[in-house]
Amino acid sequence: MISREDIQTLAELARLEVSEEETASLQKDISNILDYVGHVSAVSSAEGEKDPGLNRNVLRRDVPRGESDPLADTREQLLEALPKREGDYNVVRKIIQKDE
Amino acid sequence: MSSDLSTLSITEAAKMLAAKEISAVDLARACITQIEKKNKSLNAYLEVFDDIEAQAKVADERHMKGESSPLLGIPLAVKDNILIKGRRASAASKILEGYVSTYDATVIKKLKDAGAVFLGRTNMDEFAHGSSTENSAFGPTKNPHDESRVPGGSSGGSAAAVAASMALGALGTDTGGSIREPASFCGLVGLKPTYGAVSRSGLIAMGSSLDQAGPLAQTVADAELIFNAIRGQDPLDSTSIGEAFYPKRVEKKKIGVPRHLLKEGVDPDVLKTFEATLATLALQGYEIIDIELPSAALALAVYYVIMPAEVSSNLARFDGVRYGLSLAGNSQWGDYAKTRGTGFGPEVRRRVMLGTYVLSSGYYDAYYGKATIARAMLRAEVRNALEIVDVIATPSAPSPAPRIGENISNPLAMYLLDIFTVTANLTGNPAISIPMGNVLRDGKALPVGIQFTAAHGDESGLFAIGTSAEAEKKLE
Repeated sequence: MISREDIQTLAELARLEVSEEETASLQKDISNILDYVGHVSAVSSAEGEKDPGLNRNVLRRDVPRGESDPLADTREQLLEALPKREGDYNVVRKIIQKDE
Repeated sequence: MSSDLSTLSITEAAKMLAAKEISAVDLARACITQIEKKNKSLNAYLEVFDDIEAQAKVADERHMKGESSPLLGIPLAVKDNILIKGRRASAASKILEGYVSTYDATVIKKLKDAGAVFLGRTNMDEFAHGSSTENSAFGPTKNPHDESRVPGGSSGGSAAAVAASMALGALGTDTGGSIREPASFCGLVGLKPTYGAVSRSGLIAMGSSLDQAGPLAQTVADAELIFNAIRGQDPLDSTSIGEAFYPKRVEKKKIGVPRHLLKEGVDPDVLKTFEATLATLALQGYEIIDIELPSAALALAVYYVIMPAEVSSNLARFDGVRYGLSLAGNSQWGDYAKTRGTGFGPEVRRRVMLGTYVLSSGYYDAYYGKATIARAMLRAEVRNALEIVDVIATPSAPSPAPRIGENISNPLAMYLLDIFTVTANLTGNPAISIPMGNVLRDGKALPVGIQFTAAHGDESGLFAIGTSAEAEKKLE
């Protein structure tokens, strides 16, 4: 079974706060699911290429879309959605700190 | 005007609207009456819009001015992960608390141009993570055929709304079966189009190599009307393709059945109904051929590696910095972790963790790497099978609708409901679920669906066979 520490490392990587109780249930659930999806490891790497998918490269002309841009008038609404707005700025936590 | 109007198919309603026998306002009012009667117990809509009649009036005016479109004035429900400008969108998650859409999804813009009337936002599993709509942060939706059962998911609200005559049709999204499985459980037609056939601009992304939007409707003809209105290439979604992208196919009247996948894990009544449906199609001149899809047995495992991997990446954007819920911790990391730990529900957290695991250094090759190889094999097998047959048939789901709560403590059991639907998402093929009959459970008739999968771009093949399967059912 996946360890408690592994779950905590994953939570850190995934930027999730996870309670003690949930850590225990995640250990059980993630282990069960990994046992099931682990069947894929039986596939031999020689059997096929990695799937490039159905995507292909799509380019557009490098010109401003201007007023025909369907997203042209959304600036104010995007600003409106900011959790903490000051004028036209998004207020975020200070992340640059002095070296100790 | 009688509330019976709410039970009309889109095709019938469009005819009556065109003949001016009814107005769009009449239709809208009929649906509102049903919503007022049923939504409280079914919980299909998270929000019913307050301007439905005004929208319908505009449609009537457009009609008066001589406009005509099959969807002009048709009331539709919209899954809550599709953006409508100026309206709330939550993906049934607390993390999008207070979020108002800043633009129209391309599918919405196209439906607005066609004159559709939007009734409201429908309930779903949070971020479309689930097969029962029990993972909604706003309570489960109930199945109109038996309220002790789930409507399926994740587009369960859309399915319940149409099945209970609270809308004439609806939009859903399908990442691993989220349109087809609720269609099966609610007795509707549900289409997952070819990957790229419908623009995803303005959909809240789940698994970007898998997601498609599509219709839930009462009839194949209705599903086709909605599909034709929303399809097409879109500069805002570079994965979208035009109608001529894949070559046209000539119908061979051959149905392939991978019987080796049906040997275990399928409810005997579902299997019986499935075989009976195939037999009636054979009487209509379709040839039923056994086919083998050896890698399909791995499809669900492949899906539950690739999907959470993409989920963990797509949901990284919900960090409380730009929109939605924003909670303060005691550091930058603490802000993220608190916002996401509180805002996301248990299944979303589970999938994000699982995705983070399969993408993490040391495990990537064993899980994600192998899954992409198996996915390519599966795609080749499906392509080869579809050179011989027009469509591949399976039941849409291995059982009728489970009871509410039946699978909630066992995520893996819930995942197994997707066993027949995930393949089409992994391979990008279009697939449709058509009602094939009912099975009796505790004295209640529960609908079950048959799934057809066609070659890329061959939705018309699905509509053709779907119409045949549907005709059989009407004769019964």
